[in-house]
Amino acid sequence: MNTSAMRPDWLYPPSSGRHDDMLTADGDLRAHWLEILDSLNGLEDIPDRQQKALRILRDDGATYNIYGDLNQQSTTWNLDLVPNVIGSEEWAEVESGLLERAELFNLVLRDIYGERSLVRNGVIPPEALFCHRGFLRACHGIQLPGEHDLILHAVDLIREPSGGFLVLGDRTQSPSGAGYALENRTVMSRVFPSLFRDSHVHRLSAFFQRLRAKLLSLSPDPAQARVALLTPGPHNETYFEHAYMANYMGFPLVQSDDLMVRNGRLWMKSLDGLKRVDVLLRRVDDWFCDPVELRSDSRLGVPGLLEVVRAGNLVVANPLGSGIIENPVFLKYLPQIARALLGRELRLPSVNTWWCGDAEDKQYVLANLKDMVIKPVYRKPGNMSVRACELDQNGLQQLAQRIEQDPLQYVAQPYLKAGHLPALDGSQLAPRPSVLRSFAVASAESYTLMPGGLTRSGAEENSFVIANQAGACSKDTWVVDSEPERLLSSEHAEEPVATREAESISLPSRVVENLFWMGRYAERAESTLRILRTTFMQFSSESPASPVVKTHLLQALQKMAILLPDNLPADQQLERWVRDGTLSNSIASNLNSMLFCADQAKELLSSDTFRIINDIRDALVKLPNELNNSLGSAPEEVLDPLVTALMAFAGLTQESMNRSFGWRFMELGRRLERAQQINTAIRGLLVPVVNENEQNRLAESLLLTLETLISYRRRYRGRMSVQTSLDLILLDKSNPRSLLYQLETIAEHLRALPHPATVLHELSDEERTLMQAEVLIKLTPLKELSSEEETSPSGQQNAPQEQPRQTPANAALQRDKLLSAMTRCHQLMGALNDQITDKYFDHREASQQLVRNSMEIL
Amino acid sequence: MRYRVKHITEYQYAGRVSHCYNMAHLMPRNCQRQQCISSQLDILPGSAFNVRREDYYGNWAHHFEIHQPHKVLKIVATSDVETRTQASVIDLELGVTCGQAREMMATSRDSDTLLAREFLLDSPMVSVNDELKNYAAPFFADDKPLMTAVKDLTAAIYRDFKYSPASTTVATPINEVMQTRAGVCQDFAHVQIGCLRAMGFAAKYVSGYLETLPPPGQPKMVGTDASHAWLSVYAPGEGWFEFDPTNNCIAAEQHIITAWGRDYFDVTPLCGVIFGGGKQPLLSVSVDVMRLT
Repeated sequence: MNTSAMRPDWLYPPSSGRHDDMLTADGDLRAHWLEILDSLNGLEDIPDRQQKALRILRDDGATYNIYGDLNQQSTTWNLDLVPNVIGSEEWAEVESGLLERAELFNLVLRDIYGERSLVRNGVIPPEALFCHRGFLRACHGIQLPGEHDLILHAVDLIREPSGGFLVLGDRTQSPSGAGYALENRTVMSRVFPSLFRDSHVHRLSAFFQRLRAKLLSLSPDPAQARVALLTPGPHNETYFEHAYMANYMGFPLVQSDDLMVRNGRLWMKSLDGLKRVDVLLRRVDDWFCDPVELRSDSRLGVPGLLEVVRAGNLVVANPLGSGIIENPVFLKYLPQIARALLGRELRLPSVNTWWCGDAEDKQYVLANLKDMVIKPVYRKPGNMSVRACELDQNGLQQLAQRIEQDPLQYVAQPYLKAGHLPALDGSQLAPRPSVLRSFAVASAESYTLMPGGLTRSGAEENSFVIANQAGACSKDTWVVDSEPERLLSSEHAEEPVATREAESISLPSRVVENLFWMGRYAERAESTLRILRTTFMQFSSESPASPVVKTHLLQALQKMAILLPDNLPADQQLERWVRDGTLSNSIASNLNSMLFCADQAKELLSSDTFRIINDIRDALVKLPNELNNSLGSAPEEVLDPLVTALMAFAGLTQESMNRSFGWRFMELGRRLERAQQINTAIRGLLVPVVNENEQNRLAESLLLTLETLISYRRRYRGRMSVQTSLDLILLDKSNPRSLLYQLETIAEHLRALPHPATVLHELSDEERTLMQAEVLIKLTPLKELSSEEETSPSGQQNAPQEQPRQTPANAALQRDKLLSAMTRCHQLMGALNDQITDKYFDHREASQQLVRNSMEIL
Repeated sequence: MRYRVKHITEYQYAGRVSHCYNMAHLMPRNCQRQQCISSQLDILPGSAFNVRREDYYGNWAHHFEIHQPHKVLKIVATSDVETRTQASVIDLELGVTCGQAREMMATSRDSDTLLAREFLLDSPMVSVNDELKNYAAPFFADDKPLMTAVKDLTAAIYRDFKYSPASTTVATPINEVMQTRAGVCQDFAHVQIGCLRAMGFAAKYVSGYLETLPPPGQPKMVGTDASHAWLSVYAPGEGWFEFDPTNNCIAAEQHIITAWGRDYFDVTPLCGVIFGGGKQPLLSVSVDVMRLT
């Protein structure tokens, strides 16, 4: 074919023994790759686009958590820019094979948890079913409404050396990857807009519409279906996808603690009480879903869930127990199973599988061990496939022994050479073994296949394991037509299929609580950064602060955060306090807490917000190094990027989040925290009475910390005084960093929150507390607050406030009235925090298994 | 024989339990030699939600939720049940031999036999090992009638293992029981099930009650009875037969069946999840089996 137009260094020679999807055995380009390679070849800016793709992925928060790596919380999803291209005619064939397979496994699932005719009639040996830990006896008899029990069916496929597709296995428990496929598509269509358009790529959105429609239809009342997506939480490897799909389909994302069973129904603990859930799309594995009947030590499920399902009050998709379909022993018996249940054999071939539970198979496997891949029948973390050819004599012997000991638990498959796809390696193409995961979803009468799927390619030319855990990268999968696809009116773009309707009432309390704390931590980090920056500046200023000022600054810092107890020199203390994540209230620990909360509320944050969150994460990682480099010179500058990122974060949430209850709680947290921080700073810097110069220096530090020094100077022409400073930071409502501004904003948010319907007009507890704080601040004259004298019982306060003090102040001298007002206000705001927590957040109680005791039985 | 069984389970918690979810196997099941005439489960404090269903093995499982705070959970199961001896009393000298039975287990296409093979496999609390195999092998010569072999094995366990209520907790691993040669009824049942499976025969765990008779001339005391456990073995083509290694006997009318499964794990009398409750709840159980006819 026409390879001459190609940059020669782009291509590679085909490797023998494997199919190459781009090249024929002679090294010629295959027809369906021509156009795309031509376009890629013309794109001089591949590295730029790769960068762009990476940035979009990062901004979308597309991550994949690597198990067992605690230091690295999550890794950005890896996307190779060369798509897996499949012609629509070939795809149509694969599609019909996959749909047929989904239908068959649906029947198998129904049979296993119903009649068990496959066993009863001797189609499969009983052990093929009964030895598998994925067979959940507790799920016997559960059937979903409609024709299909298997809602989602995923299949891993490779290309054989002949070029045809071969099934490696099925994923039916809670198949992952569909969301990543969608994210890949979104990124590709942004990175290669014109190439994508011209290639007539089949769209993915219809698949998600079907999934959404199917889930809604499973509810007893589809018009008012309440569907939720159950995730194990942010530590799960595919959490990104859970949040992404929940958002895309407009379902709330819930965790174990968000749900509870009551009166035989499932409920979500939401902001305004318990809300029924009647369909659960779950990403928690079978055994972990119900600690009463399944794994009793699971914290990821909901106690009593299975009984709700049995009572017909809840549909779980895929149904509990569907993990049995992943049993590779079924692959061995697939022809007879298909004949028994479908009346014909499947047209799409599956990998040859020998089961050691069969005497003849075991003999064959042991005799040919070296050529085999040995797989455990039951898939779980740490239970890996073994490529026998990689073992030494000793290893082989041990493997044979393990098989002999428990033959039922092992299958063997030949070592397959997965077909190659081209992938970018620097600026060149390189052959990578690839596997495609396809997704089928049940619709009314049949299955619908996602046109495409998730392609993953190994890290090297001969990689055996193709898994994200092993450094694989992913690819968008393009099913391409020579003609543009005719679109249904509802399917024109990769748009979210639903907008979040009535979002306010469907927010789990946990998410709201995390938003509240995200606000608090972000603000806490910001204010402590600010005072720290001020302190650095005053310490290293050209006219150095006096020891008294230094002492008070450090004490103020100490009040806002816990400073080290040891006697390190002040600047070393400061430094550790910035970067030591193990110190409570260090900048690093505040930011980590904030990032944790953001993860918990991931589905509510925009991708712009995620970009900032990434910046914060990056700045945090770089901080120790930068501090080392700047040692001795202007350490405050190192903190600037963090302050800027936090400001940007505050601005973005202000500008790009809906004024939902979630936003209000985040704001509440932020305002409450700021009120407390202002309060603490005042107590640290304005309560002490010192000489005038020092007083000015402290007031200046406070104003600088609260970002109001400039407005102060403009207003008061540089003349420092405690009274005017207090006016600006306590009472001035036009100053967004004044205490009163915080209180009034809090009041506004509280009014907007959902309230129980009541006929009474009395204030709520929170409103009452807040009003007390407000009254206290408003009713105390500034003169009294700034007075250095002890309050006399008669309340006579005639001494002039700004009288210069010539003698150094007694260190213990302080503004008592100010101190007591601020202390009281601080207590009130603390009480407000507790009242909000009690009223709106969930109070989780630790659960335990009912102990099984020996006395119970003879 | 007709009995009334009263089984009282009481948990006293150190702290308040705010709510809980439980599953109970406390009501006698129906089977060929037993009919449950009536049964009632009283739960204190009152349960918010209480349903009964038939489980995978055909046992009765009760599910209940309690949402009112409590420090004591009391469950009183009262059942009237009619029992008979096992079908045609087991003919120990006739019937299939061990060799025939093994062959049929492996090759028979009869659906009862196919389904019985589930009980040949390892289960959560019973895994077959060489020790069990060596212990059992002498009793199972190929030409010996299977029922005779099982009877001999039952007698051997009765003889070799010491009954000692203090020696094990409920979840005693079978290896440990083989080591100490001591245990309680469910341990002996587990051991014998393990031996039978090691020999290639399907065996079920049976939980229930045993009527105890007072010494001659004395009145029967209330609450002296207890939960009991024994096992059932499958003879291909003939059916399931129950043996009681704790008493070295064939289960008879006085053996009242609550539930059966692969082992204790499948038929735990009461399990669940509680919220709150503090540490180490105190459990007391009392069982009373009263003859009605």
